[in-house]
Amino acid sequence: MSTDAPQTTDETSETSTEDAPAEAPSAGDRRRAQKQERAAERAREEAEAEAAAEAAKNTVHLKVFRYDPEVEGKQEPRFDDFHVPYEKGMTVLDALMYARDTYDSSLTFRHSCRQAICGSDALFIDGSQRLGCKTQLSDLDMETPIRVEPLPHADVVKDLVVDMEHFYEQMEAVEPYFQTDDLPDEELEEQRQSRENREKVKMSTRCIWCSACMSSCNIAAGDNEYLGPAAINKAYRFAMDEREGEEMKQKRLEILEQEHGVWRCQTQFSCTNVCPKDIPLTEHIQELKREAVKNNLKFW
Amino acid sequence: MSQSYNRGLIEDFGRWREFSAGMWAWIFHKFTGWVLVGYLFTHIAVLSTAIPAAGAEEAVLTAGEDVYTQTIVTLEDLLLVRILEVGLLAVAVFHILNGTRLLLVDLGIGLESQDKSFYASLILTGAITVASVPTFIAGAF
Amino acid sequence: MAERYSSFTPGGTSWLLQRITAAFLIVVLAFHFFLLHFVHHADEVSFLMSAGRMETWSYYSLMVLFLITATFHGVNGVYNALINQGLSGTKRTAVKWTLIAASVLLIAQGIRTANAWAGIGIY
Repeated sequence: MSTDAPQTTDETSETSTEDAPAEAPSAGDRRRAQKQERAAERAREEAEAEAAAEAAKNTVHLKVFRYDPEVEGKQEPRFDDFHVPYEKGMTVLDALMYARDTYDSSLTFRHSCRQAICGSDALFIDGSQRLGCKTQLSDLDMETPIRVEPLPHADVVKDLVVDMEHFYEQMEAVEPYFQTDDLPDEELEEQRQSRENREKVKMSTRCIWCSACMSSCNIAAGDNEYLGPAAINKAYRFAMDEREGEEMKQKRLEILEQEHGVWRCQTQFSCTNVCPKDIPLTEHIQELKREAVKNNLKFW
Repeated sequence: MSQSYNRGLIEDFGRWREFSAGMWAWIFHKFTGWVLVGYLFTHIAVLSTAIPAAGAEEAVLTAGEDVYTQTIVTLEDLLLVRILEVGLLAVAVFHILNGTRLLLVDLGIGLESQDKSFYASLILTGAITVASVPTFIAGAF
Repeated sequence: MAERYSSFTPGGTSWLLQRITAAFLIVVLAFHFFLLHFVHHADEVSFLMSAGRMETWSYYSLMVLFLITATFHGVNGVYNALINQGLSGTKRTAVKWTLIAASVLLIAQGIRTANAWAGIGIY
């Protein structure tokens, strides 16, 4: 649950209010007893409805994708409903954790740091790729059920967990680490980066490998070989880093210039729209396209 | 994992209500592109009637009774063809305007307002199309 | 790793050509529509008027260039759309050559038509 919860009222829509049972006198007028019973019944129903209405006001309704190939009843994907008591400041991840801890311990999803740094909980929430931990329930439409699904365009392993293997492969294809031949003269000298150059790559360094962009990309969905926005952004981060030297830059551009590299980007801006770290992905891809064209013209 | 579930591409077009401006721009651009390529082929096919027409007598040509002139006149007499031409104009205008938008995006200009420029292309396309209807329909009745 | 992408097949040239033809087509397509629907009208088309335009060399060459760039832009666009959908392998090669053949036929037929109007013997 959220860290700044002021008051903890543990009432859920599931807990029904149990009123005092109607006392039926064993002897005497049967009719009167029946009447009394009916009245009590009505009172109980009213109280229940009232409680439900009260709870609904403070309850968030989640519709969560469920699937598990290893469990008989879950092999056919379905949506489960969870009614979670809402508290101010609650995120989608908080709600999921509440649902798991309270109602169904088999509900499976990845999460770790809960502060948008680890990149584990990218989910498809109300039709958009978002980080569960960074999405406030209050920013969503709580009037309608909130749909929580695993990331699209990836194979579902179980419930909200998708197979990230392909994404990691694409990331590794661009050699996502610093490489240079351009070493400083003195052995102990620092390899400094200019302030301007740091500014240039700043946004691109923020990637947390959550795969939200890859999942949102229509082209990556169709063309499995496409590097995808995250990998290209990673390549941008190093290709634009002046400390890597000219030779390394050529090598990086060669990877990006492949047919399934930068050219496949159709500037739909889907990736830029969903990136939880606000990286201008499309802008970076476009810059690399121009860089590659310029680079090729240079050799003519 | 022994098994995993592939939801395929169903979520793509089943979720059209959730598409963003950039996605719509891409879909429209692709659709209008297909229409224009298709039209290019039919256009050349129809215009090819000028090849047999070129062999016709001078008098036939002056009277406009050659194959080419007759084909075009017959086609243009049909109201349906005129309506389709208005549609073609709309398609071409959108492709031109959104194409300009895409060229700017490729040059790295105005990426922040790419959604607004898409809406602008849509509105302009509508305005130009509506304004052109009288010219396109003229003489069809 | 990078080895997976070792076959160096640059898509940069066709990408750039697609943009250059786009810039050209924006102007020429607008001109084409304007000339043939607003200056001249759809119901006044005749062989002699078309021929009159085509007999001007500048118009003839502009239209031939228009045909070639439009064909490239359109066919390359279709090809790219199919690759974006994940077309690959033998299918892709087949599609590629079919599209090239169709383009050649289209351009040839278009030039024959233009020649017929311009009064050039070869058509």
